[in-house]
Amino acid sequence: MGKYILKRTLNSLLTVAIVFVAVFMLLRLMPLSGYFPQEMLKETDEATRMSYLRNQGLLDHPMVQLGRFVKNLFHGDLGRSLTVYPKVPISTLLKEKIPVTAAFGFSSMLIGIVLGLSLGMLMVRFKDRWGDRLGTGYILMVRAIPNLIYLFFIQVWVSLWFGLPMVFEKNMPSSWILPVICLSLGSIAWYALWLRRFMVDEENRDYVKFALVKGLPQKEVWKKHIFKNAIIPLVIYLPSDLLFIISGSLVIESLYAIPGTGGLLTTAIKNQDNNLVQVIVLMYAVLSVLGVFLGDLLIAAVDPRITLTED
Amino acid sequence: MKRFIAILMTLIMAMSMTMTAQGEDLAAAANAIIESKTFERTYDTNFSSSIASFNYYSTNLAIVREIVSNCIDGLVEPDIYGVYVPSLAESWETNEDQTVWTFKIREGLKWVDHTGAETEYELTAQDFVDGIRYIGDPLNGAYSLRVVRNLIKGLYDYYWLLDDIDCGLVTDQNREDVVKQFDEMVGVKALDKYTVQYQLENSAPYFLSLLESSMLILPVEYEYAMALGEDFAVDNEHLLYCGAYYVSNFERDKAITLSANTHYWDYDKITLDTVEYQMIPDGTTSLEMFKRGMTDYTSVEAEAYDSLVGTEWEDNLLPTSHSFSTNYLWLDFAGENTEFKTFINNENFRKALLYSMDREVLAALREPVDPARILRNTINAEGAIYDSNGKDYTDYSPLKEIKETNFNNPELARQYMEAAIAELCDENGNIKGVEPATVDYLPVCSFDIDGKLPVTICYVGTDDEDEIIMAQLFKAMIEDSLGAENVDFQIQAFSGWTYGTVADPLNYDIYFDSLSTGYADPSGILTRVTTDGAENVGRYDVPEFDALIEKALAAKTFEERLQYFAEAEAYLCGNGFIIPFISSLRGYYMSYSIPYTSPLTLYGNTKYKGTLVMAEPITQEESAVLEAAYEVAREAALAGK
Amino acid sequence: MENMQLNPLKFRAKVFDQMASEDTGYSNYSYWRSTFRTFFKNKAVMLLVILIVAIIVMGFLYPAISDIDPNKVSLKRKEWNQRPTWEHWFGTDQLGRDIWTRAWYGVRNSFLLAFCIALSDVGIGMIVGAIWGYNKKLDPIMIEIYNVITNIPSTVYLVLLAYIMNTSYLTLFISMASRGWIVEARFFRNRILSIRDSEYNLASRCLGTPMRRIATKNIIPHIISLIIMEAALCIPYSIGSEVFLGFVGVGLPVEAITLGNIVNQGRASFTLHPYQMLLPTIILCIITVAFYVIGNKFADASDPRNHV
Repeated sequence: MGKYILKRTLNSLLTVAIVFVAVFMLLRLMPLSGYFPQEMLKETDEATRMSYLRNQGLLDHPMVQLGRFVKNLFHGDLGRSLTVYPKVPISTLLKEKIPVTAAFGFSSMLIGIVLGLSLGMLMVRFKDRWGDRLGTGYILMVRAIPNLIYLFFIQVWVSLWFGLPMVFEKNMPSSWILPVICLSLGSIAWYALWLRRFMVDEENRDYVKFALVKGLPQKEVWKKHIFKNAIIPLVIYLPSDLLFIISGSLVIESLYAIPGTGGLLTTAIKNQDNNLVQVIVLMYAVLSVLGVFLGDLLIAAVDPRITLTED
Repeated sequence: MKRFIAILMTLIMAMSMTMTAQGEDLAAAANAIIESKTFERTYDTNFSSSIASFNYYSTNLAIVREIVSNCIDGLVEPDIYGVYVPSLAESWETNEDQTVWTFKIREGLKWVDHTGAETEYELTAQDFVDGIRYIGDPLNGAYSLRVVRNLIKGLYDYYWLLDDIDCGLVTDQNREDVVKQFDEMVGVKALDKYTVQYQLENSAPYFLSLLESSMLILPVEYEYAMALGEDFAVDNEHLLYCGAYYVSNFERDKAITLSANTHYWDYDKITLDTVEYQMIPDGTTSLEMFKRGMTDYTSVEAEAYDSLVGTEWEDNLLPTSHSFSTNYLWLDFAGENTEFKTFINNENFRKALLYSMDREVLAALREPVDPARILRNTINAEGAIYDSNGKDYTDYSPLKEIKETNFNNPELARQYMEAAIAELCDENGNIKGVEPATVDYLPVCSFDIDGKLPVTICYVGTDDEDEIIMAQLFKAMIEDSLGAENVDFQIQAFSGWTYGTVADPLNYDIYFDSLSTGYADPSGILTRVTTDGAENVGRYDVPEFDALIEKALAAKTFEERLQYFAEAEAYLCGNGFIIPFISSLRGYYMSYSIPYTSPLTLYGNTKYKGTLVMAEPITQEESAVLEAAYEVAREAALAGK
Repeated sequence: MENMQLNPLKFRAKVFDQMASEDTGYSNYSYWRSTFRTFFKNKAVMLLVILIVAIIVMGFLYPAISDIDPNKVSLKRKEWNQRPTWEHWFGTDQLGRDIWTRAWYGVRNSFLLAFCIALSDVGIGMIVGAIWGYNKKLDPIMIEIYNVITNIPSTVYLVLLAYIMNTSYLTLFISMASRGWIVEARFFRNRILSIRDSEYNLASRCLGTPMRRIATKNIIPHIISLIIMEAALCIPYSIGSEVFLGFVGVGLPVEAITLGNIVNQGRASFTLHPYQMLLPTIILCIITVAFYVIGNKFADASDPRNHV
């Protein structure tokens, strides 16, 4: 077990390192003019721009820049944002933005799991009857209608009908409702869909039929056999989902003016804010390999058939 | 109907304005409106783009400008009529040729911090000197330096000397020594504790307007800023204030609160205790929130305007007043597309383009009611620059003729086009001297040309939705009036942030852009668009224009200067070297604040000192009366200046 | 329980039939025929298939026979944003272009695009997945490649791509297809692994069945339903991601019409002129629902246990 964990950790570190260096080098391939917004390009001359870039250390060899970043990282210094929030320490930015997004992410994840699993069970319980149809209808709706359309609809009309605020406000809990609902619509559908699928699969298994034939009460079989087995393939995603509650939704955060991390990465890349991009990519890569790793550990813990040793 | 009444009323008011006797009646009517209202002490407004930082030397973001203009005072400020009145400077004087400006600063003012408490730092002449010291150091990365750097004596040399040292070009001088020599090298001096003097390279009669428009001349408490280093102005807690307000609360990308500065020298004039900003990223949302009473201001775009006509809100729609930014088309005179290059260097073709567009239809995209209001045929805006007799710059001949020409004339455009074709093509429609080729405008586009009519035109604009719609109108209009058999108009769009790969390497034939009159002098734009000017991204060659600009810069009086500039601008626009067509003004707005109570800031700032905010939105009728009274009063104020 | 008694009258002895007893080992079962029979037995599925075929036919036929230019801009303001009339069944958009016409052009372009992407994602994904699943030595390397590719934010290389290439269908295709294949490959690898090592295949191999036969009879029928489902989901996916790509700057040429860019015309059109969204949204929903249901039902139908 210890050996396995060590090996996995080293492996994960390698992945993170490759991803990070790849992104770092890709960023240095971008044209120098990209460091300046349009207005600035028009206002400044070439020499002023070069002097700015040199002062920011952007003209140094990429390897020198990489070395500097890693060195600062070990000193706990994430650096400062370059173009999106000039000079603002990235650690400050993350400290401001992550809690907001995480709060929304966590509540919507919770709602997604609770409502999603309930809906999934409802659908299996009433398979091919009204419950199933209702659930399928919901899932299809969420997937089929372009999300911008129903998100606009919720923000403009639902807020009007229920007298809810149209944008997020920190001190007004009623303004948290709509964004959380919008965020959880998709995950409810996802959990319901897959739980139904896995439970139906389990239901048809021979051991279930055998258990029922043996005379075990239906409820018992459901609880102890079907649900338990069906939930296992879902459990593996749980740690990842939990870790990634800090990456918000670009569309929903911008609609409700939530000052979170949603559009941060995309904005940073578009504005060529190398420092910010690097930190975020590094953070997400670490979380991602960690999530997979924890998922494997978790599934081994809940499913006794799985052991974490090399075959 | 209400709209009609409002327009009628405005007309009556405008006529009555000529009779000064009625001016007093108007003032009384306006006063009656204002007195009938109850006023709020809080104003809830909104902003749409995220705030990068409060460092006023290194940003030009509109929302930061707005906040800084309320929080950091300059030497002078405009009153509600746009006349410059003392602000931090009590008085000022200038020499004969307006190259030396001396300001006497109010005594005993202290900087305040983000809690509104006075700090130990006193506001002195040195703080203004230090502002220039700050921007003069390339390490501080000041934004949009050109105008100020070239104007203040010695600043240009100081900046580049430091830069040369930084990049190792100059090794015999040491950075610290040069920085110490700032006071000798650069023409900004603290004559005594409360007197600051600016020595300029050229005569600058417009210097006061530059003080209003450029954030680079604002003061800074150097000791404080240097102690903070890179942390200076990253949020409201790392900044000192000396204006009517201070930023008491700041949530990045979310909310900003301005609170009245109780230590402000002009505290009695402050009418709002707090100005609350919240971020609303989308215009539709802010309109909805305004209707629900959750914000005190919203802009109303042309499309939304139509939806409000006939509703209870129709009466509250007010036209936005002015914008000195002009939309225009660049033409590439030396592009790779030889078909277009051949034609654009022909005067007849340029004139054909000039007359080919129905500018009112384009304007209707932004101003649905009275599109003609936002047409603009000149580069510098009307109402931005006046000579010492109060005559508007755009009323100087021959610019006045350009301003008043109706350029929507498809027949004339067609005639010019046929003349151009007759000169440039043989009878089979082959363009003389143009071989078939592939034009490489990557990453924007690449296309083949065949050396025959129609002339391929590659139009490039950003992928902004409104701009694309406008581009599609350009295409329809130009192909309609010049004939689709003569021109083939292709639209290409690029993402805003890839501008550097489009305009620098000149990957376009026609390019949509805007220029803005930054201060009360035509030189602001015109010196940038000369043959070797920084903004001449069309690479045209116009010695006649250059000569006029030279003359203007050497002129003895301000009037003579404006005259030459007007001739130069008329030459450039009249011959179609660049094609200005509308102002950047966008439609309408609704607000709870009473118009004409805030200082008349012309160059992109907004000041809340004196702004009156009511309990309900202002209506068109009220606004019309106030406007009429204001116009009379302004006339008098400007004459009294 | 007590009432249930066997009634001997209900039973009759069967006469022994020599011919019939010889017959048992054979049935005329054909996998594909059974699959399609099961599939088309469902009336709702029939309806959806007809609908989708109708939409596709309309999408390809209408642009070919109609002489209305979908990009014809009107210079008269009153022709902009028209409500539905006899002349324009679904109204006109903000420049007076006919929405009905644009929708069908959009259907055609979106389908072609989605089809190419489905082909590349699922096609490449399947081939790579099969090799990956069958070659144990490749596995650690492939997993590393997968981890790296999926952990690099696509925006990074999409923005780079936007700097290098101009806006065109090809660019859009390259950027959309840039990542899908590895995700699909991993998916197929997992399925193939589990099927390959399942008991009946082990048994089959022990009995000496040639690999080719195992692949064609035991593995591909299982995979085929997955392929169809994945391919079906590519259509709504590609329409959704087109919008994001436009945002990043590798969108389509300005004048290109797709369902994606019609539906995402922007916030203003949605609140002010909802009818402009009607037709394209309905078509989009039908397509998504139809492909989802068809994919699911086909997956069910292709499961031999559901065959009659």
